[in-house]
Amino acid sequence: MKQSFVFSGSGGQGIMSAGITLAHTAIDMGKHATYLPEYGPEQRGGSAKCTVVINDAPIVSPLPTRCDNLIVMNEQAYRKFGEDVKPGGVLLINSSRIPAPETRDDVTVIAAPVDDIALELGSPRIANTVLLGILIGATEIVAKETLALSLEDKFKEKKPEILEMNIKALDRGIAIGAQHKLKV
Amino acid sequence: MGEKRFMKGNEAIAEAAVRAGCRFFAGYPITPQNEIPEYLSRRLPEVGGAYVQGESEVASVNMVYGAAAMGTRSMTSSSGPGISLKAEGISYLAAAMLPAVIVNISRGGPGLGSIQPAQSDYLQATKALGHGGFHAMVFAPNSAQEAADIMYAAWDYAERDRNPVLVLMDGCLGNIMEAVDLPPMREIKPEDAPEWSLSRRNGRDYQGNITPIYTEPILEGINAMAGEMYKAWEEDDVKVEEFMVEDAEYIIVAYGIASRVSKEAVLNLREKGFKVGLIRPITLYPFPKKSIRNLDYDRVKGIIDIEMTIPAQMREDIELQVMGRCPVYEYGRSGGCLLDDDGVYDAIYEIITGGDR
Amino acid sequence: MAVYKRPELIADAPSGYCPGCLHSLATKLVAEAIEELGQADNALNVISVGCSALNILYWSGDFLSVAHGRAPAAATGIKRTNPERLVFAYQGDGDLAAIGLAEIMSAANRGENFTVVFANNQTYGMTGGQMAPTTLIGQKTTTTVYGRDPQTTGYPMKMCELISTLEAPVYVARFALNSPKGVNDARKGLKKAFRLQMEGKGFTFIELLTNCPTNWKMTPLQTLEYMNTNTIPYFKPGVYKDKEAQA
Repeated sequence: MKQSFVFSGSGGQGIMSAGITLAHTAIDMGKHATYLPEYGPEQRGGSAKCTVVINDAPIVSPLPTRCDNLIVMNEQAYRKFGEDVKPGGVLLINSSRIPAPETRDDVTVIAAPVDDIALELGSPRIANTVLLGILIGATEIVAKETLALSLEDKFKEKKPEILEMNIKALDRGIAIGAQHKLKV
Repeated sequence: MGEKRFMKGNEAIAEAAVRAGCRFFAGYPITPQNEIPEYLSRRLPEVGGAYVQGESEVASVNMVYGAAAMGTRSMTSSSGPGISLKAEGISYLAAAMLPAVIVNISRGGPGLGSIQPAQSDYLQATKALGHGGFHAMVFAPNSAQEAADIMYAAWDYAERDRNPVLVLMDGCLGNIMEAVDLPPMREIKPEDAPEWSLSRRNGRDYQGNITPIYTEPILEGINAMAGEMYKAWEEDDVKVEEFMVEDAEYIIVAYGIASRVSKEAVLNLREKGFKVGLIRPITLYPFPKKSIRNLDYDRVKGIIDIEMTIPAQMREDIELQVMGRCPVYEYGRSGGCLLDDDGVYDAIYEIITGGDR
Repeated sequence: MAVYKRPELIADAPSGYCPGCLHSLATKLVAEAIEELGQADNALNVISVGCSALNILYWSGDFLSVAHGRAPAAATGIKRTNPERLVFAYQGDGDLAAIGLAEIMSAANRGENFTVVFANNQTYGMTGGQMAPTTLIGQKTTTTVYGRDPQTTGYPMKMCELISTLEAPVYVARFALNSPKGVNDARKGLKKAFRLQMEGKGFTFIELLTNCPTNWKMTPLQTLEYMNTNTIPYFKPGVYKDKEAQA
């Protein structure tokens, strides 16, 4: 089944990296995926957005107008893209930065303080891994084991602590997501 | 098959070029194609090739001209504003009958335009890549995979014709990441340098010269030869995808990224019972004239040209084949605003249910 | 035994240059230097646009004819893919110092391992004698009929001086071809430049002061004298950079 994801926030929040990891993992599982980044002319701190489409069949269009799953990492992205999730979809909100989102009753809203969780686990830079965990906990779009392998591959050149921290972040995210288990 | 990698369209172009035997690249930074030079600056030295960051697009294409004259498979890449600057060198490549591959990862235009993706260079690519009335084969892949496949074959066409080849793809497809099955590495040896080239590695021991300047009766003959070559392309080299065209009452014509969004719309409209189909030119030059000319116009009620540029640029090529036998409509987004599934679906729906556009 | 003969690299054909034009002498000096180094079969002449393009008619070695001003770029593509070849560009002043300024400066700055021979005759010869970037102050051309006025056209470009400020070039020198001494110095300079290239030392640049009897509207003899009194005082011959000598 076809599922689309939009990750949005600002540069430096690991938006693009989360999108790539998700798409890559889907491909490793034998699915089809496209990842499309969008960014402004700024090198740092501008808005960051990417679209991931995953399907069992080859992806025809990589440009959905509205997505099934919207991940917003900051207030600005929430205001800009908040309406871009389809009815029945998932809206995943970083409540560390978006304290009081207006609720939408036609979508499943998952609000989690991913920045705070990341800090608690040791680094603000793993917030995006917490996010990925929540996504797979809720949607099971990709298998945890395959995603963990992608992370292993991604961090193989770095210190082992970094991978360890990311796996913890993934597990914590999955636990949160599991509370919102959806049929996909 | 080779190996599967999750990579950007731009990277697929670069890696496929290396595997096709490309051993020289010169270019100048411009968004949204920077992954191509960045990739090749690392990759070419690994295979004994050379990468040069030129001082301008003008210089870069002339570096390619020099390397191509030596029989080295050579390429450059840029985006619209840079392709305008390369126009001189591309014209000289055609004049000197030198094979080379030019990649345009297009963005919004005219002028500096926008760094965001757009299909704004169709007319430049197909009608006048430079002065003097020449053509290059123009390929328009619509996925990272097809981009890799086309790059792999591009020098075969360029060397067969001793003419530059253009690969035209918008910034969306340049930056999209998809799984790509990479073709195997081709072994090109120094002694394989073409007989016409200035290389002496192939054992040539007589004078070699290559020039883009001719005296008048010779130039006329060269022009006529080029004309014959363009005609032969139309017979032999047209590449087109026809999707659900057999019974279609409305035909969408779209290439590159627009063709993917259009195909999605065709599938969704078919589910609703609308008889729509898609003609996707893969070669923009030679244009798939017959696919449009030979449609059954007793059945076809309209042709819809969908492009990520406003106004539509392919429309005149379509109209020349339709010859007034049905209306031609157009829909597009432009200036870096992307086409999207609902927008294209709604536009087609409006046209086929009686609206006009 | 022949003591003086036509170099093999020069075809047995009319040069196409006007009577008294020093371009033919410059081309002959280049050919002789290459042959003396035993590189005739290995040399590749990158022919630019302007009167220099007449090389097409009578250079009998390998050549690639290129766009106006772009010879250093094309030579870069050649040399990077075929480093074993002796590669040189032969450019005039409009080609090199106006439309091709970015290409010459950048190739020199990259230290490309080829040689550029720069024929400076202070005019656009082939197009009929318009002002060149090297036209002297007060010199009359078809676009400066009252003489070059620095108020509106600036000053003649000194390419050896400019290029010698760059770090990479290994040998930069200017010679005047209006005297036997100048010719002999040029011959040595060219040979040195080509030798340095074949040793893989880097970028070499030889400027040859030449003339244009037709467009200067003088007899050949008058042009040689004009060069003494006007050209040479401004464009001073000499070696501007020689890394080998410095070492």
